[in-house]
This record gives sequence, C-alpha cells and structure tokens, in this order.
Amino acid sequence: MTHLSIAQKALGAEVAVRSAPYFPRKKKAITGRSIAVIVFLSICALFFCVPLYVVITTSFKTMEQIREGAMFALPNVWTLEAWDHAWNSACSGTRCEGLKVGFWNSVYILIPSLILSIGLSIITGYALALWNVKWAGPFLFVLFICAFVPFQIIMFPLISMTAAMKVYGSIWGVAIIHAILAMPVLTLIFRNYYKDIPQEIMSAAVMDSGSFWKIFFEIILPMSGNILIVVLILQITSIWNDYLIGVTFGGLGGQPMTVNLANLITISTGTVRYNDNMAAALLTAIPPLVIYFFVGKLFVQGITAGAIKG
Amino acid sequence: MTFRWSRWSPQLALVPAGLVTLVAFIGAILWTVYLSLTRSRRLPEYEIDWSEWGRQYERLFKDSAWQISLQNLIVLGLGSALAIVFGFILAAMIDREKRGESIFRTVFLYPLAISLIVTGAAWRWMFNPELGVEHFIHSIGLTWVNASWLARPETAMYGVILASVWQSAGFYMALMLAGLKSINSEIWSAARLDGVGLFRLYTEIIIPMMKFTFVTCAILLSLGVIKAYDVIVAMTNGGPGQSTYVPAYFTIQALSAKGNLGFASAAAVVMLLITAVIFLPLVLLTAWQQRRSGART
Repeated sequence: MTHLSIAQKALGAEVAVRSAPYFPRKKKAITGRSIAVIVFLSICALFFCVPLYVVITTSFKTMEQIREGAMFALPNVWTLEAWDHAWNSACSGTRCEGLKVGFWNSVYILIPSLILSIGLSIITGYALALWNVKWAGPFLFVLFICAFVPFQIIMFPLISMTAAMKVYGSIWGVAIIHAILAMPVLTLIFRNYYKDIPQEIMSAAVMDSGSFWKIFFEIILPMSGNILIVVLILQITSIWNDYLIGVTFGGLGGQPMTVNLANLITISTGTVRYNDNMAAALLTAIPPLVIYFFVGKLFVQGITAGAIKG
Repeated sequence: MTFRWSRWSPQLALVPAGLVTLVAFIGAILWTVYLSLTRSRRLPEYEIDWSEWGRQYERLFKDSAWQISLQNLIVLGLGSALAIVFGFILAAMIDREKRGESIFRTVFLYPLAISLIVTGAAWRWMFNPELGVEHFIHSIGLTWVNASWLARPETAMYGVILASVWQSAGFYMALMLAGLKSINSEIWSAARLDGVGLFRLYTEIIIPMMKFTFVTCAILLSLGVIKAYDVIVAMTNGGPGQSTYVPAYFTIQALSAKGNLGFASAAAVVMLLITAVIFLPLVLLTAWQQRRSGART
C-alpha cells in the first residue's frame, strides 16, 4: 500500500463513485512490489522446472559422466544412446524388449478404454439430464458417492469378475475396468453439461417425433463438441498416466507403459543405468505433456471438472 | 414432462450404468466387507465364524506396518497441505500481478499432466544418495547437509511429501485462481480506500470469502492422500523397511505380495471408512452450496 500515490487514490475514488469496475493491478509503471512478486514467482517456476531439467539432461548423458556426480551439469556429449536403450532394450521384469512394448500396450488400452468409458457415460448423462427417468435423483447421488470409493475396496471382486469373464490379464480387462471406474465422474460431468440445455429444445425435438436415440445422435451429440473434447483430454491423460489399474489387471501381456517404467526404475539388481531410466520416464511423459502444452486450457478444465463435480 | 411413446428407451439406456453401479461398486463393496469377516487367505472362503468375526480387524490394528501406514497417512496429509498454502500464495500473486500469468500458470501446472510414476522416477533420481542432489550440495562445500532423504527411514516421508507438493501445488493454484477471479474486483479498491493493509486484506477479507474453495481443496487433498499409491511405488516401494507404507500401499501389498485376502479386505474396509469420514462434510457442503445458490437465483 505504501507505493500508492495520492493521485491513484483519487482516481480510485472517482472510478468507485462511477461504480465501474476498478482494476488497481492495471498499472503502467512497474512498482517495487511488482518486481518482488515477479522475482518470487520466477524462483518458484525455476523450482518447478528443476526436475524436468535434470531428467532431460540426464537422459542425454553417458553413464561415465553421470558417475562423476555433477547432477546439474549439461551433458559433455549429447547422446541418444539412453533413449535407444530405453525404447528398444530396457528390461521390465524378465523381458528386455524396451518400453516400446508398453507404449503400444498403452495405445491399445487407450482406444477401447476411451470408447467404452465415454460411450457408457455420455448416454447415461444424457438420459439422466434430459429425460424423465425414475429414480434419477437417488441414482445421481449414488454415482456421486461411487466417484470417491477407493479402488482397493472393489479391487478383489473386480479381479474375480474379470477373471470369470476371461478378460483378466488382457488389454480388454484393463479397458473395461477403466470404463467402470470412470463412469461415475464422467456421467456427472455430462449430466451437468446437458442439464443446461433449454427444455424448449427438448420439447421441440420430441414433438418432431424424435426418439431417444434419434435426438441423441441428431441434436445432442452435435451440441456436445466442447464437453467431449474436455472429457476426451481428461480421459486420455488419466488412462495414459494410470499405473494401478494397469498393474492389477494387465497381467503380463497387457502392461501399459507406466508399469514398464515402474519396473525399470525399481529394479535393484545389476548396475542401474540412470540415463536409461530418465529417457524412459521422458518417453512415458511425452504424450500427456504434448497434449498439455497444446491444449492446456482444456486439460485444466477437464481436471477441475473431474475433481469438483466428481 | 412425460413422453409416453418413448418412455422406455431412456430407462433402458440407463441399464448398463445401473448394472455397473450395482455390481461393480455396491456389490463389490459388500463382497469385500463380507470377505473381511472371513478367514480367507489366498483364496476366498465364505464361512464366517461369528464368535470371532473381527479377527482380521484385530490383527490389522496390531500389525506394526498398518500402524506405520496410518501415521504416514496423517504425516502425508499434513505435509501435502503445504500444496494448498503454496497454491494459494502462487494464485494470489498471479492474480494481483497480471504480467506473465499464462507462462506461470503453464509452468506450475505441468507436473499435473504427467504420471505419478514419472514424477516418482524423477524425484527418486534427484534423491539418489550417491549421485543426486546431496552429492551436488556436498561438492559445493555444504557437507553437513543431508539431502538423500529417501535413503533414511526418518526422512523418507518428507521426500514423498516434497514430490507430492511439487506435483499438486499447481492444481490447487488453478482452483484458487478461479476462486480469486470470482471475487468482486471492487473489494480491492474499497479496501485500498479504507487503507486496509495487504496482509489484513487477505487474512480478514479474501480468505474468509474463499472458505468454500479452501474446504473443497482440503477435501480433495484428503481424498488424494488416501489414494496415494503410485508415488510410493515409484519413489520408495514402501521402504526403507516399511517406513513409507500408507494404507493404499499396505492393502495392495497384503493382497498381492502376502496373498492374504481377508486381511487385505479388512484394510480396504478401513480405507473406505476413512474416506467416508472425509466425504461426509463434502456432501453437506455441496448440499449447502446448492441451497445457497438456489436461494440466490
């Protein structure tokens, strides 16, 4: 407050009298406090970037340089050797075929998981929001509770059920579990989006002899672009980043990339190749990071919607 | 509104979701609760000896690893609360100082986009006892500093907390920023006219106005802490010893490594109860907020 000039105070008073919004932060001159704030924020930003910097530089170093112990030094020789190892020959358990196995597993898990989880919850959300269904209120309440249930309490029964359905230990098992666990949150997100659609639109659509499915595909789905892209990004990142479901339901054949990475970094036998580990970590992080840097706003929207509405 | 000719389609469309809720959530929870009362070991047994139905729970609370898990849950919860404080400070600064808002937001939020396994891998490497940050600090002469937290049981949890805060502070910042933006901008000018100091403005006006954002953050954080599993696997695998066990990790260990189904089920039931205790205020809060916004419109 000390840097505030009388002129600004007067201006503030005048603006306040006119009852127009007054934004004291839109000042032209940089005050001392502004500089202090920016410096503090920059230091924090630096702290946030340190792990990324270390991971990136380590992944390009040779093991000889890493053994010297200068963690923050740039690579003497920039080499892609570790990236090649991580992708082609890093060991996960007893298999040493690199992270490419997990990468493709993750891709194959992603596609059916997305279709199943979004398909199931968009229809449910649509029916709950726009149609007069019985028990809609209690059902929504139960879904709200289910969104918070810890995975551990339903883990063993789900293993038994997927085993009985003969999908345990496969990509399909993982995809089905993703769809089940995402259903409550996604349904609530879709329902909250659709409930704002004006009644008149629905009434007109029904008058127009629209059936449940016809209205969905011809009117509602074309209106859902915004929410679909937000949910899509939310689901892509959370499925890609998932570890627990992958390790529990993937068996040996359907392990996603995160499981391979975890196996690699927790390995305790032999000499640990830290550059391989960091290259593997980066390989796993690149797909969600690319999404984040290109459509960050939508990512944040999805994350907050998923957290609050769920 | 009732549309008779298409009365059944919407009901039928809800059948899959209804079945999933009934079988995969409600049924599965009851199944696990039931198993926690049996003597099941590697395979489920369905006989309950009612004279000692609580034996798994008794064993659980006598188990030293479970006691450590509960302690660590509280430590992790309190430690991770720093992410809310940190998130609020960052949000307040970004909100007041508009310059560079999008850059700072992008930087503070990127850890949220990556897998906790990657986060854990990065921090595990930074905390490496021989080649990590400690080596660097020692090499610049500060040999008395101990920075290989993960290698020692007393400090390992702090390493986990640091990684968790790093990962989630941006998320709370985003929530707080949304809360701050919804505050009427005239408050700042009014406070300025009244000569209210910045510190008092925040502690006495802004923070009380944002209490719902804070409560929401606290509840989300608590629910996140109970679920903490990936970061433990990637950073410490529960070690050294059992010093970084948390309930989520303990339960899965009991099931997959020890193959003790009844015991793991009892631990899972306790996890559910803890979640319920945290969850109840959230339900009340949401109901309250809905009533309030309903009254306003």
